[in-house]
Amino acid sequence: MDLPVQDVLRPRSLREALRVLADHPGARPVAGGTDLVVQLRDGRRQAELLVDLSRVGLDGITETDRGIAIGAGTTMDVIATHRAVRTHFPALATAASQVGAWPIQCRATLGGNLANASPAADTAPALLVAGAAVTVASARGQSQLPLEELFVGPGRTSLRSNELIVSVLLPVSRTGAGRRLVERFVKVGPRREQIISVVCMAGRVVVAADGRLELVRLAFGSVAPTPVRARATERLLERRVLDDRLRQEALGVVQEDVKPIDDVRAPASYRRLAVATLLDRFLAEVARG
Amino acid sequence: MADPPARPVKGRRSKVEGGSARAADRGLHATPPGPLGGSHARPDASAKVAGLTRYVGDLALPGMLHAALATSRVASARIRSLDTRAALAVPDVVAVLTAADVPGQNSIGAVFGDQPLLVTDRVRMVGDRLALVAARTPEAAWIAARAVRADLEAIPGVHDPVAALDEGSPTVHDGGNLFRTLRVVKGKIDSRRSKATVIVEAEYHVGGQDHAYLEPQGCLAIPEGRDRLTIVASCQCPFYIQHAVAKVLGLPLAAVRVEQAPTGGGFGGKEDYPSEPAACAALLAWHTGRPVRLLFHRELDLQVTTKRHAMVVRHRWGADAKGKLQFAEVETFMDAGAYAGLSTVVAERANVSCIGPYAVPAVDVKTHVVYTNNLFGGAYRGFGAPQVTWAAEATIDKLARELGLDPLEMRRRNALDGMARTLCTGQKLVGPVLAREVLESATRMADWDAFRASRPQGSDRLRYGMGISLVLYGCNLHWGGQQLDRSSAVVILQPDGSVIVRVGLTDMGQGNLTAAQTIAAQALGVAPAAVQVWQPDTTTVGDSGPTVASRGSQMSGMAILDAVARLRTRLDPVAAELLGCAAEEVELGGGFATVRGQADRRVTVATVAAEMASRRLECIATGWYRTTPREFDSETGQGDPYEFYAMACHVARVAVDPELGLVTVEEVSAAHDVGRTIHRQALEGQIQGGIVQAMGWGVTEALHLRDGVLVNPNFTDYIIPTAADAPNINIAVLESDGPGGPYGAKGIGEPAFIPTAAAIRNAVCDALGLEIDTLPLTPPTVVAALGDRHPLAWVLEKSR
Repeated sequence: MDLPVQDVLRPRSLREALRVLADHPGARPVAGGTDLVVQLRDGRRQAELLVDLSRVGLDGITETDRGIAIGAGTTMDVIATHRAVRTHFPALATAASQVGAWPIQCRATLGGNLANASPAADTAPALLVAGAAVTVASARGQSQLPLEELFVGPGRTSLRSNELIVSVLLPVSRTGAGRRLVERFVKVGPRREQIISVVCMAGRVVVAADGRLELVRLAFGSVAPTPVRARATERLLERRVLDDRLRQEALGVVQEDVKPIDDVRAPASYRRLAVATLLDRFLAEVARG
Repeated sequence: MADPPARPVKGRRSKVEGGSARAADRGLHATPPGPLGGSHARPDASAKVAGLTRYVGDLALPGMLHAALATSRVASARIRSLDTRAALAVPDVVAVLTAADVPGQNSIGAVFGDQPLLVTDRVRMVGDRLALVAARTPEAAWIAARAVRADLEAIPGVHDPVAALDEGSPTVHDGGNLFRTLRVVKGKIDSRRSKATVIVEAEYHVGGQDHAYLEPQGCLAIPEGRDRLTIVASCQCPFYIQHAVAKVLGLPLAAVRVEQAPTGGGFGGKEDYPSEPAACAALLAWHTGRPVRLLFHRELDLQVTTKRHAMVVRHRWGADAKGKLQFAEVETFMDAGAYAGLSTVVAERANVSCIGPYAVPAVDVKTHVVYTNNLFGGAYRGFGAPQVTWAAEATIDKLARELGLDPLEMRRRNALDGMARTLCTGQKLVGPVLAREVLESATRMADWDAFRASRPQGSDRLRYGMGISLVLYGCNLHWGGQQLDRSSAVVILQPDGSVIVRVGLTDMGQGNLTAAQTIAAQALGVAPAAVQVWQPDTTTVGDSGPTVASRGSQMSGMAILDAVARLRTRLDPVAAELLGCAAEEVELGGGFATVRGQADRRVTVATVAAEMASRRLECIATGWYRTTPREFDSETGQGDPYEFYAMACHVARVAVDPELGLVTVEEVSAAHDVGRTIHRQALEGQIQGGIVQAMGWGVTEALHLRDGVLVNPNFTDYIIPTAADAPNINIAVLESDGPGGPYGAKGIGEPAFIPTAAAIRNAVCDALGLEIDTLPLTPPTVVAALGDRHPLAWVLEKSR
């Protein structure tokens, strides 16, 4: 293939990978390559040196008392079918099952999906409503940041060139007696499968016994330069009892949370209507109980 | 949340009507026992499924070079200068050629001489070739192609086929943007207008389509010095390539051998276009003396190859109070792109198709072939008919709505039949006219009346609709191309009773190998497995014209039948001798030569073949077929444009999510007038494939252009359907004895495509109660059509 890449290194450990990245500022990590290879070929990204992470051992899902930790190298097919993920974070499992085609799901990794920083990344809204934190490593050590702080713009993250995403932590909290958790992911596109989201949405809501919304997290993809939390809408809904009037109000307020553009996939006006429609349907489902 | 629309209650298994159903009281001619109409395994299937078929990309020769193209990335410019030095300096590059290196004519147009192989002074479209590169590796070749420096001075382009005809519009060629206008003029519009009680005026914007074949364009050129060469190409039309390469290299036709490689899909995209890459590879091979392979990558293929023509279609149609059509005025603007290509030929078919199979006393059709700097319009399954059908069937529905008539009843009142047999061209149809039969059959399979009586009420937010499309299909080539409408076959009987067949028509996945094998086996009375049909090669058969216009099986079959008849002048006497009967009494069938009426007196065909071999009798026969010459007036569009016709009707049932603009095609019921089935499974495969491909065109496939550049040249954003989107498909096959090809068969490839998108459009409009006159019906298009009727339209006010 006609790729403008000089060399590929295949480190055998995380330490070695981090050292290579520290030594080569022009290097770029590659995991499944399902986004990166396409972008290298059509010139959207450049990399003199690729650092293949497939032998570093970043895959796997572990359950700890702090939550569920998903290794950055875990592929979509594994996430989509993992029992604990499906139980606690059904939106993420659904999103992972809708990334590209089946062969893509078997190669594409969670870390890659996030590092690629597409505004349309399907796992991002699901992780945002899960309250995910990203563990980042460099040769100097590890640190954690909230997922929202990772995304800077289309295709851009706050990672430095010597840093790697090593895992994503999803805090598990008990819903509690008499409370009800509703979590959904849904994407809109013109074809049933293998479609990039024109708009996608994840919602996570806990409804208290008295009907008040105790926790409201809403996130959208493909409606702003990065995947976004719908903070204004969340503030509107929190601690309120959901009725038709409030639902209507939310559809107006959510328009302030998103900044869609016209592009080849849809005009901004379509995206605004789709955001309202997805939110309306999600809130209707929450209200139905 | 957005629940997936309910699956049809009938389940995934499709209904199939007419396993042996025939049009009533038209008893078919009996044929001897054989594979005709059956479903034996297609000969190329197992190798393709196992990945063993050798496509061009799998072929390599010692010393082979790899070609790449330096193409323009802008659509309209003057070329100040061209510098190939940097490209030549790239390591492993062997040759960089420009127009000055063409030994013959620097001209590649299929019909007209307006397209250079390599441009010299002017760029008229994205993809115009500036230079050609051959290198030892494909990487080096494409790097060098990008290193060709062109000093281009941008000049204003033309990107709208209607505005292109305005006074003062920039021009693509000297002589203006209107290349041709083709007419159909019949009856007196003015006197008929006064009889019309309803008149519908509309303007339809019908988008183009990429062929999205699995295998991109590719070919391999193998020179023998500079005297002659062989081209192995992924193509539909080896004889087109032969002519194109001979012209560019200045060689006699006999010095250019073109072998069709196994071809991974064509759909028209490998009719005209492959001559261009073949001429490029041939020129590089001729200069370097080495084999040269040129393979397109997908982005290049999407960006520069021909497309289905985008069209703007204007209608003014009128009907009387009883719903009888009185007149139809059609004015179409075809976006040809920068070169004429096959556009006038596409316009010829569009003109015959644009009124549909309806009796209309007065017709005035103007089809303008317009130059622009947009994508290059070319051949694509349906060849102009799908676009004008989309418009015609929309107008029929609009008239029905104005009149308060059921769309099925509207069509019943106007469809051609045994009494009303005259087309818009004045041609009188011969033989059974099955427009009504396909209409009734398709609507019956779809449960049209039941659906209209109690439309499903979505428990959710979905709305359901059903739409009809009825079409007339002219079989084989139009009068304008009739000098090409002939075909050649060679049949060689082997001493063991097996048979080699060569035909001049290609298999690009549509099943021509299967059809030719079936017909040869039927005619010779042997098992299909005894017949090997080999890929066409211009040195083994005569020029058989292009494999287009659904003519593959017909033209192959007729030539095979002729060859078999000639072979039998030698075979039958030998069989007769072995059987002890007269040669006229010999019948072939079921693997045996038998005495007519005495099936127990028999000898195997293999025994006869062995006997012929032992006597050193000529075991090879050629066959030839020509369609019937016809009369046509190209000024008025009156006469007999096609030899005979096929009717087809599709009924689509859709579920629409209006808030998200999502269209789900749940079911398509397809009834086809096929003459005679050659191979049942291949026939159904063509219908199913046509429906899914047309659904893509009608619903999701949008070519987004900016200044003539395709901005979505990938399958991420050019949305073709997947298997998950395929609707439930019901098929009715109507057989009849009338004019047709081998055993009465008519083509199916294009009729399978033409009606679907129009039926879907009518179903969506039925579901939503509004008109959408823009194709494709993408979610944004549907939502935009709803406008203020969108239940959440108010949020857009909020966000302003």
